Amino acid sequence: MKSLEGLTTIHDKDAERERIDARLKAKPFNKQSLVIRLTLLGLILLTVYGFATFDYKEIDFFNAILSALDTVKTMFFLPRLSHITFLDALTQVSITLALAFLTTLFGGIIALFLGLLAARNLTNPRLSAVIKAGVSFIRAVPTVLWVLIFAIAAGLGSVAAVIGMTFHSISYLVKAYSESFEELDDGVIEALKSSGASWWQIVFQAVIPSSATYLISWTFMRFEINFAVAVAMGAAAGAGGIGYDMFMASSFYYDVREIGMITYFILAFAVILEVIASRIKKKIRV
Amino acid sequence: MTTLLEFKQVSKQYGADTRALSNVNFTVKQGEFVSIIGPSGAGKSTLLRCINRMIDASGGEIMFEDSNIMGLNKRGLKQLRSQIGMVFQHYNLVDRLSVIENVLHGRLGYKSTLEGVLGLYSKEEKRRAYTILKTLGLEEQIYKRCDQLSGGQKQRVGIARALVQDPKMLLCDEPIASLDPNASIIIMNHLRDICTTMGITVIVNLHQVEVALKYSDRILGVNKGSVIYDGPPAGIKREQLTRIYGSEIEEHIGELEKQHAG
Repeated sequence: MKSLEGLTTIHDKDAERERIDARLKAKPFNKQSLVIRLTLLGLILLTVYGFATFDYKEIDFFNAILSALDTVKTMFFLPRLSHITFLDALTQVSITLALAFLTTLFGGIIALFLGLLAARNLTNPRLSAVIKAGVSFIRAVPTVLWVLIFAIAAGLGSVAAVIGMTFHSISYLVKAYSESFEELDDGVIEALKSSGASWWQIVFQAVIPSSATYLISWTFMRFEINFAVAVAMGAAAGAGGIGYDMFMASSFYYDVREIGMITYFILAFAVILEVIASRIKKKIRV
Repeated sequence: MTTLLEFKQVSKQYGADTRALSNVNFTVKQGEFVSIIGPSGAGKSTLLRCINRMIDASGGEIMFEDSNIMGLNKRGLKQLRSQIGMVFQHYNLVDRLSVIENVLHGRLGYKSTLEGVLGLYSKEEKRRAYTILKTLGLEEQIYKRCDQLSGGQKQRVGIARALVQDPKMLLCDEPIASLDPNASIIIMNHLRDICTTMGITVIVNLHQVEVALKYSDRILGVNKGSVIYDGPPAGIKREQLTRIYGSEIEEHIGELEKQHAG
């Protein structure tokens, strides 16, 4: 009771209250906030310096922006196919789609087994660590670079694209799959082991049924990524497909309107893929 | 009755200085209902898992049907495990699969790898699984997914999975620790029934002393990795409980006296 009185008297004193308010308001000024402020200041200075010293080549900045917007307008409001027919475009998109499908399929099958070996609850820790370190190294290098690396051996083209994209898909899916497998309760594995089940039996009777929905949604995720990468590969690695047509339209024919049409094509297919994926996922997640 | 299981000077060492079991000796006869009681961390679970070698003992001999299981190879181990059913505190079922699929998992130990991988079970096995589920009162739930069941039902599925193995022995690790009192009674009655009518030896780890005393033919009291008490439930008095539970004793004595009064 006495201490409570003491507390109220302190709060009644104006000076004391102000002191407390001041302490609450003040942001502690320490090394961390100093570093953040210095970084922001540095970025602002660099931006101003950059804009001031750009070599504009006598381009009027304002007009340039306007004409860029004009190009975008032509691209997306007046799309038209001129060098390829609608049917051509459809064939080329399906080639791109096939590239994405093939690499996801190869990647998925190989990653399933590597993922089992990489899951900490299914193998010994050392093997798991080795595989995980290996795939994280592969994952750190972008897909495009892997395709170019394999192009040294296979030559630029679809072979290099398939190998490179499969390679990166494997590394991505091994991580996703093995983490899905690790979600499984250790007790379930123990239960089946105690009834005399072998490793493969446990994998197919308990581990995969339990993580099937994760596996499918990760695989679809990768399929979507691979579709986008496959478009880029058509242009960058000459792997064929709609990406190559886009590359030709932009840097060979300078046909802005065709680029717009092809972009819409790709967009439409991406949306269709997304819809199919979510339908399948919904069906499985009963 | 013949001896089914015998522990001779069994010990288990974790790391350099953690001794989970030290020189454990006991025998279990065929058809006996044995409860292992003791405080948390006394080595009850380790003891139970040494029997089907889910944990390898570090010393001594464990005889199951007169053969030493310590030296079994992979094939022998599979054979041993298929003869010993196990029931767990957290049921350990595959939640996404149906009840019948979970029960049939008990047969995997008898199958070739390929048959097991593909989940090919014979008509006979399916019929057996159905009969067992029926006796446990789960015939309505056969095609339900396991995550739709209540705790007590899940534990009955766990028991069915162990029984479909046609085991000689059933190991139960805290089978009623996660269940409400009514479900606990149902599960314990089923276990007792399995022991009496089917002649299957049952070894149960229990936290509830009064349940152990009520259902068991014999009690093993374990503390700090040693068997302190080995005898009939009638021999458990305040003094024995003090030795088994040490300082945790008070609550358990309360339970015991309640039971004697009632």
